[in-house]
Amino acid sequence: MTGAGGLLRFLLRRERFALPWWLLGAALLVLIQSTQSQRLYDTPEALAQLRQTLGGNTAVIVMSGPTRLLESIGGEVVFEIFAFVAILVALMNMFLVGRHTRADEETGRAELIRSARLGRRAPLGAALLLAGVANLAVAVLVFAAAAGTGLPPSGSLLFGFAMAGVGVTFAGLTAVAAQVFENTRAVYGAVGLAIGAAYALRAAGDVGNEALSWMSPIGWGQRTFPYAGDRWWPLLVPAVATALLVAVAAALLERRDFGAGLVPPRPGRATASRALGSPLGLAWRLQRGTLIGWWFGLFLLGAAYGSIGDTIEQYIEDNPQVAEFLPGGASDVVDAYLALTVMVSALIAAAYGVTSAMRVRGEETSGRAEPVLATATSRAGWLASHLSVALVGSALVLAAIGLGEGLAYGLTVSDAGQIPRMVAVAFVYLPAVWLVIAAAVVGIGWLPRVAAALAWAAVGYCAVIAMFADSLDLPGWLQSASPFTHTPQAPLESVAAAPLLIMGAAVVAFVAAGYAGLRRRDVGY
Amino acid sequence: MGTRTGPAIEIAGLTKSFGRTKALDGLDLTVTPGEVHGFLGPNGSGKTTTIRILLGLLRPDAGTVRMLAGDPWRDAVALHGRLAYVPGDVTLWPGITGGEVIDLLARMRGGLDRRRRDELLERFDLDPRKKARAYSKGNRQKVALIAGLASDAELLLLDEPTSGLDPLMESVFQQCINEVKRQGRTVLLSSHILAEVEALCDRVSIIRQGRTVESGTLSELRHLTRTSIAVETTRPLTGLDALPGVHDLVLADHHARFDVDSAQLDAVVQRLSTLGVRSLTSTPPTLEEMFLRHYGDEQAGGERPVGGTVSS
Repeated sequence: MTGAGGLLRFLLRRERFALPWWLLGAALLVLIQSTQSQRLYDTPEALAQLRQTLGGNTAVIVMSGPTRLLESIGGEVVFEIFAFVAILVALMNMFLVGRHTRADEETGRAELIRSARLGRRAPLGAALLLAGVANLAVAVLVFAAAAGTGLPPSGSLLFGFAMAGVGVTFAGLTAVAAQVFENTRAVYGAVGLAIGAAYALRAAGDVGNEALSWMSPIGWGQRTFPYAGDRWWPLLVPAVATALLVAVAAALLERRDFGAGLVPPRPGRATASRALGSPLGLAWRLQRGTLIGWWFGLFLLGAAYGSIGDTIEQYIEDNPQVAEFLPGGASDVVDAYLALTVMVSALIAAAYGVTSAMRVRGEETSGRAEPVLATATSRAGWLASHLSVALVGSALVLAAIGLGEGLAYGLTVSDAGQIPRMVAVAFVYLPAVWLVIAAAVVGIGWLPRVAAALAWAAVGYCAVIAMFADSLDLPGWLQSASPFTHTPQAPLESVAAAPLLIMGAAVVAFVAAGYAGLRRRDVGY
Repeated sequence: MGTRTGPAIEIAGLTKSFGRTKALDGLDLTVTPGEVHGFLGPNGSGKTTTIRILLGLLRPDAGTVRMLAGDPWRDAVALHGRLAYVPGDVTLWPGITGGEVIDLLARMRGGLDRRRRDELLERFDLDPRKKARAYSKGNRQKVALIAGLASDAELLLLDEPTSGLDPLMESVFQQCINEVKRQGRTVLLSSHILAEVEALCDRVSIIRQGRTVESGTLSELRHLTRTSIAVETTRPLTGLDALPGVHDLVLADHHARFDVDSAQLDAVVQRLSTLGVRSLTSTPPTLEEMFLRHYGDEQAGGERPVGGTVSS
């Protein structure tokens, strides 16, 4: 561990911009949930009524947590937000530990560091210490956000530590995965899967056999029941688990070579398949893994939304305040709910489209575009290859949303016709999603260096307008630049073709404009 | 094959700036068909920028550029079907194997000679089944080299193609380039390895700070440099310092050591022969010395009179 202290200071410096945002995000979620819940359920009667409706609503329990939490208003806050903040904190730990262990090793940066007067375990130790510092900050901030908004201090402290417990467990798990797998993407894939499994296991346990929840780090945290009995002893479980995981990671570290994993890489193909013979084949090969991941992610999100479709009517009746956020008011609440959830999912599909289109810049700045463009590949062909993945891929992702939501909702209401209906609803957003991608192409063509920032700003702008325009009372002109404003909110509203066709024409114009810029500029800068 | 009449590459007065940095400042370069042309210059002198302009990746600010009777910017795609490019700093897609990259690049160029590809894999001793992330720098370089050499392109643009290769592979590379030469194909070879340049190149161009400072065959360039002479004579050595082209003279009665401009060598030897030469050692300029002089001229400034005939 020699030198871990100095390394930790260096890691803190490297994280000084990214880490505060993760922490702020976690604290804000708790803060907003706490103020909202205390405003909505301000009387014991309101809380009792909520307990009654939610107690029988398996879909909400699947999404959130065990109903015992609903004993108090503080517990209600934990019930609503714990799982989501836990996922955020788990992801933060995954990236923190992964970035400073396997990613550094893979890029060769760690080699330079390890050549200095530094123990073999120092990089892993420093990364875990960094995660420890971050999780302590999570505990303090969650406590401050909860107690600061008027919840009991002792429960708030438990809430904070329970959250930190989830964090350290996933830090330990990532430390093990970083020893096992040779490349960073595999580490993130494995830990990401574990986070998903942790969420699913506690869901299954909360509606069925409680033992399943005890297999999930998120379940451990929820079963401290902050504000609903304040059980401290379950905190021992993540503490012991983390100690074991760190010990395993340290033992594996001693047994493996630098740069190697425990799973030796399998040799690949000696010759390229027929499909890998053109820029198009290359672009799809490079992006297929990511696309499959997003596809399943959004399919599951759609299914989660769809599964609570039929209980939403009941929910709205109990929470008239929620209806204010739905476009059609309290009337036809299910359609309004479906419209809102599809729109939120479509925003995520737009985010996928932007990551996919930005591969063009990634290829360019990494220097990998150069050998491709030195072959008989035109710039138009090269741009089109990656853009085709962004456009077709985002359409596939929209289909996944419709499929998941239609399937789950159709199952609960016994109507197979919901599947084609919801797929069609999702596709109403195709022009809007493509327009965001086309805007990113304009940036790639004319302002390559800031293209990524501009494209993400566009996604963020659309999201803010779509979710908060009404509640923040934003002026119309500010809203009108978002393509989502002009998309009919199917199935609540009937679909008019004109705005969709106009957006389609804008997509063509934007892509042409972006290509014109790419054609005349230097490549690689 | 394309037209054989004009030069394969003809660049005149080429200028390119990135913001305030001037990368190329009136560069000239002529490469005739069938020759291996060495392209030399210190780091940051503009070699890679020139090659990127030839590839149509960068747009020139001023000057004329012709390659294979076409305009590299306008006719990029058509020209790329006739050339192969090997970068000096090879980045590959981490999840794709070396064999796949070779096939992919060849197919995008317009076809693959599988027999030659397999032969090159053998000669360069590369395992094509490894994912690119597992390759060392030298092995990544081999992937790009095999992809370039497996093609039957009439023009090869090689930008420090052997950086990171071991001496064994370096000699395989030289064999390959000699074969390319025998087939009458043209090569533009940017390199820092002077032995490689000496072994392969018919002509060289030396650039510095975005400008061509020298161009010609190696013997022509040698002619512009100095030969070191150590001599012992029967009669006292007099009048040597008065001869043109003699530098750094160290004189001790019957012994002398000095450098002489190659152009004045004849006059100096004639003078020495009248003094009764007892022994004479003459050291021809090494390529190293030649390049060090060209590369280092900037620091030396005007205080060291250069061979007199160096142009521009």
